[in-house]
Amino acid sequence: MIQISDALLSLTLLSVLLSLASNRLMALVKIMAFQGIVVSLIPLFLEHNDGMAIGSILFLQVMLLIKGFLIPGFIFMAVQKIKIKREVEPIIGYHASVFAGLIFILISAYIADRLHIALPDEHVLLMITAITTLTSGLFLLMTRRKAITQVIGYLMMENGIYLIGTALAKQTHTQFVVEFGVLLDILVGIMIMGIILHNINSAFDDVDTALLGQLKD
Amino acid sequence: MESVLAFCAAVLIAPMLPAVIQKVKALFAGKQGPPLLINYYTVIKLFRKGSVYSTSTSFVFQLGPVVGCCTSLMMLLFFPLAGTAPLFSFHGDVFMLFYLMGLGRFFTILAALDTASPFEGMGAAREAFFSTLAEGTIFAILILFFRFSGSLSFQEFFTGTNAMNIGGEHGALLLLVIIALYIVMLTENSRVPVDDPATHLELTMIHEVMILDHSGPDLALIELGAWFKLLFYSAFLSQILNPLQLADPLMNGLLFFGIVTLIYMSVGVVESITARFRMNLVPKFILTSFALVFFVIILTMELIQ
Repeated sequence: MIQISDALLSLTLLSVLLSLASNRLMALVKIMAFQGIVVSLIPLFLEHNDGMAIGSILFLQVMLLIKGFLIPGFIFMAVQKIKIKREVEPIIGYHASVFAGLIFILISAYIADRLHIALPDEHVLLMITAITTLTSGLFLLMTRRKAITQVIGYLMMENGIYLIGTALAKQTHTQFVVEFGVLLDILVGIMIMGIILHNINSAFDDVDTALLGQLKD
Repeated sequence: MESVLAFCAAVLIAPMLPAVIQKVKALFAGKQGPPLLINYYTVIKLFRKGSVYSTSTSFVFQLGPVVGCCTSLMMLLFFPLAGTAPLFSFHGDVFMLFYLMGLGRFFTILAALDTASPFEGMGAAREAFFSTLAEGTIFAILILFFRFSGSLSFQEFFTGTNAMNIGGEHGALLLLVIIALYIVMLTENSRVPVDDPATHLELTMIHEVMILDHSGPDLALIELGAWFKLLFYSAFLSQILNPLQLADPLMNGLLFFGIVTLIYMSVGVVESITARFRMNLVPKFILTSFALVFFVIILTMELIQ
């Protein structure tokens, strides 16, 4: 029968690829919301449910709420409020980005093979997906010009880190506490980002970060 | 016997299903839409008419629609519809079929070029370019299926213990293949994000502009060929989507055509909620499907085991 965790990991890979290829900002935000939901559901299906304490299930639910709804919601509101142009404006083009995604997955398959981490029940896909998400997030962060797409790239990196954490922690759920702290940091970061973007936008005409590099007094 | 029945049912039902797409689109727009049997009326009307041939065209122009329709029909002959054994099958028939479809497209393009109309030449160029890209995805899927099942015919893909469907061993990875195949289906059949079948401006057309000069029975044959092709792709998708293999052939057939109808409806929904892409974004869309399948191939490589 189909393994739900594998299906979720495939969907994560799909969202990574789509985010590399998407040229609309709104589409990117929606993809990130989808990825957040899928990624936060993965630990639920990865291990046996009977071994899960009430506390960790609660953590998972809060994680789902923050990753899947709150953060994308904030970004969504920020995008709408500051009236950014809808195009993503990549430094490296879409075709090249998708091709880079293919290379990332190849490299992460190689790395996951070399790491020899004892994964729960042969979840080979988990480590590959995690590293691919991490590197693609980093790539997105570097190659997109807008401040808001850089936040999205950072968010994707965080998703990758979360997946790696899930892969490393077998049955214990203490890792969620650390993860949770990181997630709260990001949440606050994104809220501040929204406010700052708003201010930048009211002071200047554009939120292109390339323009910020040329600031002089 | 069952195979013949399934084939006949498929051929008979093929013109009705695209009307489902039109119906769904009409419902989205708040209209009533055409009757479900509209395409039968259209075909009958067209077959009653005569054809008009320009004096500047040659026999190639008249050959195009016939070859196009026949090659699409061949696809259905070799495909295991509703889980029955296909009428014909041999090892490696997938290659022949996809190249037969290429042959059909080649003749459609030739017929378009034969009219010496600049619009049709433009449409032919686009069709050739986009389907070249889509072919990459199709063959990547075939390579993947060969890795999974070790066979190269549609019958072996979808029957036996190692059948390719999402209930099987590789079900999770097939999710990506399904999405890639869906993109290819939209591309090959000139549906919305790639080409708009309802457009009225020749400059933005891909497939429709190529058949502007065909009339009467020729046009009917082209339409029939397009419907068979769409049915083939959605049957392909539904075989992957359907994990059940019921004992009763009748129920099996109903289930199969039910899933096919759902796929057509989803095409209608996609067409209603998305706008078509700018021409320069279409290659990216198709290459995304190729990248998806390539992802899956990498994941199944020896590297990981």
